[in-house]
Amino acid sequence: MRPALDWVYRGALWASALCLVAIAVLVGVQLGARLIDGVLALLHLPRTEFVLLSLNEICGYLLAAASFLALGGTLKAGAHIRVTLVLAALSEKRRRYVELWAFGFAAAACAYMTGHLASFAWVSFRFHEVSPGVVRVPLAYPQAAMSLGALILTIALLDELSVVATRGRPSFRAAEDAITVGKEG
Amino acid sequence: MSVLELSIVLMLLLFAILGSGVWIAVALAVCGFAAVMTKVATPAGQVLATSMWTASNSWDLTALPMFIWMGEILYRTKLSDDMFEGLAPWLQRLPGRLLHVNVVGCAIFAAVSGSSAATCATIGRIALPELLKRGYDERMAIGTLAGSGTLGLLIPPSIIMIVYATATDQSIARLFIAGVIPGMVLASLFMGFIAGWALLNNTRMPPPEPRLPIRQRIQASRRLLPVVLLIIGVIGSIYGGLASATEAAVVGVFLALILSWWSGTLSRQGFIDSLLGATRTSCMIAFILAGAAYLTAAMGFTGIPRALAEWITEFNMPSWALLSVLTAFYIVLGCFLDGISMVVLTTSIIIPLVTKAGFDLIWFGIYIVLVVEMAQITPPVGFNLYVLQGMTGRNIFAIGTYALPLFILMCLSVVLIAAFPGIALWLPSTMLDAR
Repeated sequence: MRPALDWVYRGALWASALCLVAIAVLVGVQLGARLIDGVLALLHLPRTEFVLLSLNEICGYLLAAASFLALGGTLKAGAHIRVTLVLAALSEKRRRYVELWAFGFAAAACAYMTGHLASFAWVSFRFHEVSPGVVRVPLAYPQAAMSLGALILTIALLDELSVVATRGRPSFRAAEDAITVGKEG
Repeated sequence: MSVLELSIVLMLLLFAILGSGVWIAVALAVCGFAAVMTKVATPAGQVLATSMWTASNSWDLTALPMFIWMGEILYRTKLSDDMFEGLAPWLQRLPGRLLHVNVVGCAIFAAVSGSSAATCATIGRIALPELLKRGYDERMAIGTLAGSGTLGLLIPPSIIMIVYATATDQSIARLFIAGVIPGMVLASLFMGFIAGWALLNNTRMPPPEPRLPIRQRIQASRRLLPVVLLIIGVIGSIYGGLASATEAAVVGVFLALILSWWSGTLSRQGFIDSLLGATRTSCMIAFILAGAAYLTAAMGFTGIPRALAEWITEFNMPSWALLSVLTAFYIVLGCFLDGISMVVLTTSIIIPLVTKAGFDLIWFGIYIVLVVEMAQITPPVGFNLYVLQGMTGRNIFAIGTYALPLFILMCLSVVLIAAFPGIALWLPSTMLDAR
């Protein structure tokens, strides 16, 4: 079970990272084309007029997919922020109960979120909703990726709930307490 | 339930959930859910799905992961050595000498990084040991570093500005440019303080080092060239209207990769670490934005922001009084909450009030960034304090005291931008619009 779960978190995190790379490459290609056109114009040569159609929409969808697919991996890395002021002040024994509550509560909330995101994606799929603009991207794809990410987060929260129940503390405690640069924005 | 009762109940609920260690994004969304549930006819689940979808799929927000990635790449380069070596010979002659490296180094790094803690950590990594080795006053070295690191938020690019701009539908590019002059004003205030302190406390300064000949100084400052090119590439293209914020961020990622490769610090593992680090940080922020979007939509149904706006207008407060109240409120909030939560809570509740009171939303964005900067150095919750605690082993309350003079200077800069809004609004009014 353990290796399979970790594989899911890691795989989704990598899928998310690849979405971000795709954004950088797509926007980079478009900028490069604009640069070449600028040079060509200076030399009085005909421009390439190369345009990636619907670039803005596609990047937006890639971002939505990336943001949600990474949710589980981010939780496991202890990078989702929360107020630990009260938790840190409690004794290890009491803290455990509060942690159980936090994981259970968050898991229930995320299960609710998963359900509604999934039914939202399902409606888009049933009615063939597509993006505005020239390239018609079915909206169900990015929305399905979002629900999948929410589902993985729910699983990760339940996973950690069982970790706290058996071992007394979340597996990412050390990472959460450490200072990750950029956490505050 | 009246609107007042409802808002008190929701506020208590939010703080109870936050306090019990539930993740911020989830806590915001649950509060949104509770708010929607008070209106029987509203489908809570549908509102959740649509508001999260709208908030997450956004071209403007794409700037967020790209700027974070750029910062992650630069953090792994030798930029901080270059900065110290390049700046030190020039700042040697000012009163306060190398203490100014903290401020100037942070201000320059802030122009390529969007985070305050990253700025603090990058500059501090080299500057702090060097300053202490040379015998500079420890309190001053640590305190000015903590304060100057916060320039990372005000000088573009800035993660917190992207969060504010996307949540309030303002132009990221304009907000970025609006931060440039206030950032410089704040940096000059910091430098003025260092110079004044050094003149008054001459005995606590180490003896001056021999002056380098001008040729060597110029040679040393060549090491600043890459970072200067990076700043021109990113901020210049936004200001000149050549690129939108997202495009400029992508340019920044490529330039940072080239810089890292050219200086020989780009490794396969470093690249992967920077990418995954950026993925996680941007995921964390995007999730908070999604939760906050649901809360904002829910708040609209309850009518709380509108009622609050009307209630405040009834007092007929002059705008300086309103700002003083808000600032006091934010300073207290900033002691306990992180910057992003402060901004998203503001945008879901206070923005109608702010618009009604007649503030410009770009100007208010700069104001918010300034109060969030203060929050970075107020204990017990302040990220720059955490970073410096990790570096020096000092207690965060002690570091907070060292940084107190800089906190006061930040309050002064709030007064300055309130008295002269042009500090923030003039430069964006001269810029060309991005396509």
